[in-house]
Amino acid sequence: MELIVRHRDREESLQLERTESGYRISVGDNDYEVDVARAGEVTRSLVIQGRQHEVAVRRQKEGVYAVNSELGVDEVELMDPLTHLARLAHEASGGGAQQVTAYMPGRVVEVLVAEGDEVAAGQGILVLEAMKMKNEIQAEASGVVSKLHVAQDQTVEGGDPLFEIA
Amino acid sequence: MNQPETREIKKVLVANRGEIAVRVLRGCRELGIRGAVVYSDADRAGLPVLLADEAYRIGPAPSSESYLRGEAIVDLAVEIGADAIHPGYGFLSENAGFARYAAQRGVIFIGPPASAIDAMGSKIESRRIMIDAGVAVVPGGRDPVSDEAAAAVAADEIGYPVLLKASAGGGGKGMRLVGSAAELSAAFREARSEAMSSFGDDTVYVEKFVEEPRHIEIQVLADHHGHTVSLGERECSIQRRHQKVIEEAPSPVVDVDLRRRMGEAAVKAAQAVGYTNAGTVEFLLDRHGEFYFLEMNTRLQVEHPITELVTGVDLVIQQIRVAQGEAIDPGLGERQPQGHAIEVRLYAEDPFNNFVPSPGRIDLLRLPEGPGVRNDCGVVSGGEVPIYYDPMLAKLIVWGSDRGHAITRMERALSELRIEGIRTPVALYQQILRDDDFRAGRLDIGMLERKLASGDWAAGHGEDPELADLPLIAAAIAHAERQEVVTSQPVVEGGQRSHWKTVARREALGGYSWS
Repeated sequence: MELIVRHRDREESLQLERTESGYRISVGDNDYEVDVARAGEVTRSLVIQGRQHEVAVRRQKEGVYAVNSELGVDEVELMDPLTHLARLAHEASGGGAQQVTAYMPGRVVEVLVAEGDEVAAGQGILVLEAMKMKNEIQAEASGVVSKLHVAQDQTVEGGDPLFEIA
Repeated sequence: MNQPETREIKKVLVANRGEIAVRVLRGCRELGIRGAVVYSDADRAGLPVLLADEAYRIGPAPSSESYLRGEAIVDLAVEIGADAIHPGYGFLSENAGFARYAAQRGVIFIGPPASAIDAMGSKIESRRIMIDAGVAVVPGGRDPVSDEAAAAVAADEIGYPVLLKASAGGGGKGMRLVGSAAELSAAFREARSEAMSSFGDDTVYVEKFVEEPRHIEIQVLADHHGHTVSLGERECSIQRRHQKVIEEAPSPVVDVDLRRRMGEAAVKAAQAVGYTNAGTVEFLLDRHGEFYFLEMNTRLQVEHPITELVTGVDLVIQQIRVAQGEAIDPGLGERQPQGHAIEVRLYAEDPFNNFVPSPGRIDLLRLPEGPGVRNDCGVVSGGEVPIYYDPMLAKLIVWGSDRGHAITRMERALSELRIEGIRTPVALYQQILRDDDFRAGRLDIGMLERKLASGDWAAGHGEDPELADLPLIAAAIAHAERQEVVTSQPVVEGGQRSHWKTVARREALGGYSWS
């Protein structure tokens, strides 16, 4: 299997094939033999060239994984090479509507704009509250609020769509 | 002195939640006292309820409708025959009205008298009481200086370096640091004109500039028989936005003499307001060894366990004993700390993403064990972290024979800790613990924010470069196994493996993706 991997500011090509007790994986120019064992419901033990790593991988959304290891939590994006090409083309054309999702669960305490409003990059769109902290969610780019998915006092889960800007 | 009602306590109602409710229940059980808790709808199946002898619903999830309903909590205590209420920290713990109402209904409030809460609750009032009692406060004050000559007199009296501050100000506008008398004239003109242009008011005042301030606090304990003792200091200089994140005892810079002097000042502060029970007097300590009263916290402190580990004194048990009228052993105040203790606070938040809260389900919690490790934890594996309350889940505390050992033991403990499903600051704490300044004990209250801003402490900093591919490898394996599971039919080769496939197929719908 061939994949394109993004992590922080790195982008690498990754090859993966199954072996008897795990996988043979190459990341860029580095080759690894990885032995995999289940260490519980959510954790796995990876032994790579004798070094042991306890890791848990949680799928955030299609192709995006949160990896918890001895390094802390890292977000890693994976896609097949065709999706990668399509993504590049999309990004080159300036992208479509920008959909903003809730990065944490919470309650919408205030909606600052209405559908159809023109907004500038950095303008506050709504206020999300969780754990005694209020966070203003802002427009990343200028445009028109094409869709509001939430209303005041609504409770949202992390990852729920909040609004779209076209 | 107005003697409160004291009597044997047989049942305590804990008016709190999370780890501190668990901590108080432990003290109750060790004394053979029944522990009752109140819970909100969000906490029905939380750890305090699971560990309590009795549990009572107090309202819906928002704290204003549950844990902050002081009258309802006191009325409940009366109804269930609880002799006393323990308020924990936060919520109603420093609410004098709550303490008063409890006393009025004949319920012992495990804490100081309401009058002491009132006296220490006001910054201005407590500062005045401390000055009268001879406890040093940060010199200078809000009295405006009308001209340069008056500023020079005030600065001489306080001692350089001083800060000139705008009376109407904030955010550093109209503020000038003045290192010596020679710099005063120019700084005074600049501060005034900046204050005028920023706030339309050029009034300024002079305050002592505390150099490289450290947060050092003294644990005090006082009974109803006239004994007030100091149990030594805690250093809490690792803070962000005035929130402590790592604490230790003893402080690496406090010696026997300074400990005695700070202890005496703290005892004086407590006595000045007629304090009883456990309390904490907070000071700023500058780099010349001068210390200044900040405020007094009239309750049990979050970081009390480090004092317990280096003194051998169980503070919750002492609190209950004091509350039922027992005398404390005055010899407690003579003890020197044994060994070294460090505490880290485990918050549900993302340290490298502006500390945004991270509520949600804890898919896995594995607490560290082994020699010298203590967990004060309020959550369980599989539990939900609600969005309604403070994000602190647990405290991890270690004891070592000296500071170096305590640091490596904390590193070891953090490497064993696993929390899945939510974000925590563990990776940041690991960076702090291996920082040269931290290890050398060179701390001040601006350190954490400074090192975060400079990028000294940042995601991935100081990592073994050999591990750079690890997250990529792990994600790729999870992705591959997910593809395999989603696209393939059940495998019926070996029983165990097909069972994993079933689990994985279930997990593949969301959450963890392994086969």
